[in-house]
Amino acid sequence: MNDLSGSCVISGIGRSISKRGDPERKTPLQLVIEAAGQAMKQAGIDRKQIGALLTARMPRSYCSLQYNQAVLNELKVAPMISTEVTSHGAGALGTIELAVSLLQNGLIDYALCVTGEASPLWIEMIAGSANWEADLQFEHPYGPTTPALYAQIACRYMHEYGVTAEQIARVAVENRRWALDHPHAAMRHKGPITVDDVLSSKMISSPLRLLDCAAWFPGGIGSAAVVTRAERAADVDQPIYISGFGQCSVHEWIGERMELHGVEPVMDGPDMVRTGASVAARQAYDMAGLGPADMQIVETSAPFAYANVLMLEELGFCGIGEGGEFVAAGGIDYDGGLPFNTTGGYLSFGQSGQGLYLLKEVMDQIRGTPEGRPVPGVRTGLVHGHGGPLACHSVMIVTGEKPQ
Amino acid sequence: MTTTEDKTDNIPGGARAPDWSSGVELRAGDMFIGVYQPSPETDGYWRGVEKGRFLLKFCPACETWHHPRRIMCHGCQSVELTWKQASGEGSVYSFSEVHRAPDVFAAATPYVVGVARLREGVHLFTRFIASDNDKMVVDAPVRVDFRVLEGGVLLPVFVVDEGGQ
Repeated sequence: MNDLSGSCVISGIGRSISKRGDPERKTPLQLVIEAAGQAMKQAGIDRKQIGALLTARMPRSYCSLQYNQAVLNELKVAPMISTEVTSHGAGALGTIELAVSLLQNGLIDYALCVTGEASPLWIEMIAGSANWEADLQFEHPYGPTTPALYAQIACRYMHEYGVTAEQIARVAVENRRWALDHPHAAMRHKGPITVDDVLSSKMISSPLRLLDCAAWFPGGIGSAAVVTRAERAADVDQPIYISGFGQCSVHEWIGERMELHGVEPVMDGPDMVRTGASVAARQAYDMAGLGPADMQIVETSAPFAYANVLMLEELGFCGIGEGGEFVAAGGIDYDGGLPFNTTGGYLSFGQSGQGLYLLKEVMDQIRGTPEGRPVPGVRTGLVHGHGGPLACHSVMIVTGEKPQ
Repeated sequence: MTTTEDKTDNIPGGARAPDWSSGVELRAGDMFIGVYQPSPETDGYWRGVEKGRFLLKFCPACETWHHPRRIMCHGCQSVELTWKQASGEGSVYSFSEVHRAPDVFAAATPYVVGVARLREGVHLFTRFIASDNDKMVVDAPVRVDFRVLEGGVLLPVFVVDEGGQ
């Protein structure tokens, strides 16, 4: 455990949702501003106290150079530092990690971290997605979709480690069970599914079938957090301590992933399967002085069933290559397994591009105010944020008490 | 928030303001169709493709081959990379058969995209061409060919050598 661990807290978190079919269709800017207002209110601060405004990357549905300045402009803040943290979906947690660095050095007293997306409300998603994930010159002309890009890693993972489609399907089944309890889960009204349902669902891009894939959250989510030094949050109700974090980014386009070697996580040569999540997790565990066995709840942004299995390995909940057996043996079962993706995960809660809504779920569980099924006695949890085709990874460990 | 009626009621002359409450429909432009975008550092690759030649970036200083995008050699940090004819031979590293695709490619489904591992050690995202997609396997030998794909662009593709397995 080092000096950063527990030095800062999340003193307020906010989230705003706009769903398809609502009377008013909100923009990402509306959603993040609403969330920022909630977060500042919960933290007991006003705009004049914000020393850093850190946004994740601009939402796809709000393309604007200097997106962070558009947010700043609306909030009427004048911080020392205003910037985007843009390592794809990993940048959402990245905003908080950067905030801790600034706070702990005493440069600022409060950071406001803001992230959101509302693509499904405003953009045609099937044609649009791969444009953001594929290299327009060397990949896109061949006709990849986002699933087809992620399928390359699935192909190698199953080929090299012998993980089976049946084992992987268990993730979709267990995620769905959690989603049935969550009021905002995209797939809540679809009912439970079985392994056979997954294996017989429509092929999207082999080996990925429909129920292996993340659902788009049917709308937009804005989320925001206020981060401050622990001693400044004495009057805040249930501040959440940031015990550890880490981040590792390794590529932009999947076709060039194999050019990288000589650095973690591919020290020994090119490899398409092993990701920066293992590196980020090790950093986070080391900072927190904790290990996988201490985690009482885990949320991941893995957008395909196999990627969840892979992340369970990378985050240390089972051995390398043992993820398939781990989930098949009930490792993440709704009944008695590791509480994993307790909103339903990207597969059944739905994916909203990027955000702090997974962090909010862990915080809600620690505070005893979850929207879905409560996990009793949670004091320590892990959140994994990822972006690009398994390119950028952030891991954060949070606790209900100040780390010892 | 105001309603559509509120916004249009008071406009002089009966003109109606557009209804902005749902935004306006956006259409993807050329950059979203995926037309390749050669640039000074990659132009040589596409000039080769036009002539049916398969070139890769090469670092003469440390004699290493690179992806056609490379600007800097990751072996010796040289930026003096050149174009060099490659063998065009390799194997299937990873692949996926695409069943659901955007409009431009929909008529071609199911087609196979993947990563080719070239004899020179470079990996390249590509289209794999097989007589039967069900016979696609990792490590199958492949050889470069040049085809105009659905986007209307002449591209290097890799044909699975089914006799060579």
